[in-house]
Amino acid sequence: MQKGHSAFFALLLGTLCLARFLGESALSLYVLFALTAIVTVGVSLLMGQAGQVSLGQGAFYACGAYTAGVLTTHGCPGAVALLVAPCAAAALAVVIGVPLLLLRGHHLAFATLAAHLIFLSVIGEMTVTGGDVGLQGIPRLRLGPLELDSVRSYAYLSSLALVAVVVVARNILASRPGRGLRALSSSELAAASSAIPVGRYKLAVFSLSAGFAGLAGGIYAFYMGYLAPGSFPVLLSVEYVVMATVGGLGTISGGVLGAAVVLLLVHALSRLATTSGMPMSAPVILSYAVYAVLLITTVLFLPGGIVSLVAAASERASRRSAKKASEAATSSSTTPSG
Amino acid sequence: MLRVEGLSRRFGGVYALENVSLNVEPGELRGIIGPNGAGKSTLFNLITGHLRANSGNVFFRDEAIDSLGAHARAQRGIAVVYQGARIFRGMTVLENVMVGAHRRTRHGFIEAALRSPRSRREDEAVRLLSAALLTLVGLGGLGDRPAESLPLGQQRSLQLARALAAEPTLLLLDEPASGLREAERHHFAELIRSLRASGLTIVLVEHDVPLVTTLSDRITVLDLGRVIAEGTPAEVREDPAVIGAYLGSPRAS
Repeated sequence: MQKGHSAFFALLLGTLCLARFLGESALSLYVLFALTAIVTVGVSLLMGQAGQVSLGQGAFYACGAYTAGVLTTHGCPGAVALLVAPCAAAALAVVIGVPLLLLRGHHLAFATLAAHLIFLSVIGEMTVTGGDVGLQGIPRLRLGPLELDSVRSYAYLSSLALVAVVVVARNILASRPGRGLRALSSSELAAASSAIPVGRYKLAVFSLSAGFAGLAGGIYAFYMGYLAPGSFPVLLSVEYVVMATVGGLGTISGGVLGAAVVLLLVHALSRLATTSGMPMSAPVILSYAVYAVLLITTVLFLPGGIVSLVAAASERASRRSAKKASEAATSSSTTPSG
Repeated sequence: MLRVEGLSRRFGGVYALENVSLNVEPGELRGIIGPNGAGKSTLFNLITGHLRANSGNVFFRDEAIDSLGAHARAQRGIAVVYQGARIFRGMTVLENVMVGAHRRTRHGFIEAALRSPRSRREDEAVRLLSAALLTLVGLGGLGDRPAESLPLGQQRSLQLARALAAEPTLLLLDEPASGLREAERHHFAELIRSLRASGLTIVLVEHDVPLVTTLSDRITVLDLGRVIAEGTPAEVREDPAVIGAYLGSPRAS
């Protein structure tokens, strides 16, 4: 995982440059990609490292968006609201996660799905969030003298946020808590005997993934200027899970790649579906079916996701050299293993 | 160091362990033997914290640790080498050992995310220590290999290095010699002996009676969930109860 990082970083800087040179029409898709990738990086860590599925990342995304939206419409500076948004989402995840992570299996998936639905109906009822009509008049984000009022400025902001998220996730994975997470994803028993607080660590990565989603949601609020419960359907949460799986669970690059590939595919298909001569039902079928087909195909034929394809070539080369080394090592030790 | 008082554990209505007491002194190497089903693994899991007792207490350095989870016991200095290949797959050999040092390092998620000076310092120190431990257990130069690519004997050594990375006060070994080849077994015994010489307190749960009698200061013999004898290897070997219930029985290995 460490090996491909410098190449991946170069790729990431390349996408940052995209924000500068992309045409106006592609920019909005780019912002969507960056915001989505921020969420899927968290989902990938949660599913790959803690072995837990969250079908509620859309709710954390919404939580971040509404936190930023409500705060700024009540006079809070945008920069502060943008910092509070991920914290609020992370805190919500802790509240939901404490009772659930004590249980095993798929409780978290069902409960987060339920949490998503509850969150939507609560937002639809509350007056401070604008109810079902939605929250309007969110001012553009102002960072010091800078007012972000163009799509391109949000492309910069969201890609910077994506880079920050990738750096944070990478640092964590390469360090003490990251080793602890990777250890417990392999053997909870042995991890606990290495003094790793298994439950607390699972909760931490759940909260971290929610924080990422909250950050993306916060940017989304300023970018759109308008929020409604309908902007955060349950399908959104499912999309994140599909993207992370397609990209490759447990890896940072998988989260980013999955978001890029799925978004581009869906975009291309929706253009295809709206060309003249296609039946009326084509857009719906093509956009929904693609998630199902992608998920099933990945799980069946490519369990490691797209990153495993990329890694396969370099790994094959390194394994060949490692095999030579191991042959040399075993022949020098007393007994070769069978 | 480790004191077990009246420990009992039932599975269903059957006692796997019944009223077991033992006292391990600091610096001692205690062997625990017994035929299959004697309750060795149950006792082991009750000490590590993976099982809860129905009654009785476990004291570690005069502190009752019954209510503590496995990770909290590890945090207090109890390190474990499991019988199976309980290594961390998907991580390198070196990283596996570094996980063991979790206990002695402090930095958490926020410091790691920001790459704080302390997190770098700790990671660097742990990396050096882990590499040294790999050399100690005979895995020098294999640090970059995927842990699951090692043969079973080396995986056992890897577990030992991981346990030592915690700088434990008590080392628990569950059947460390099982499944090992003769040469590997010999190598492992040498390692245990040198650890014992360095002053580490060790509890060795083992099926292999000759191995335990050569290594241990004292031996506790379990049969059918009860302690039937305890003493030096020579005393235990002469004990008629042991001969009758275990060494002389056809079940002995």
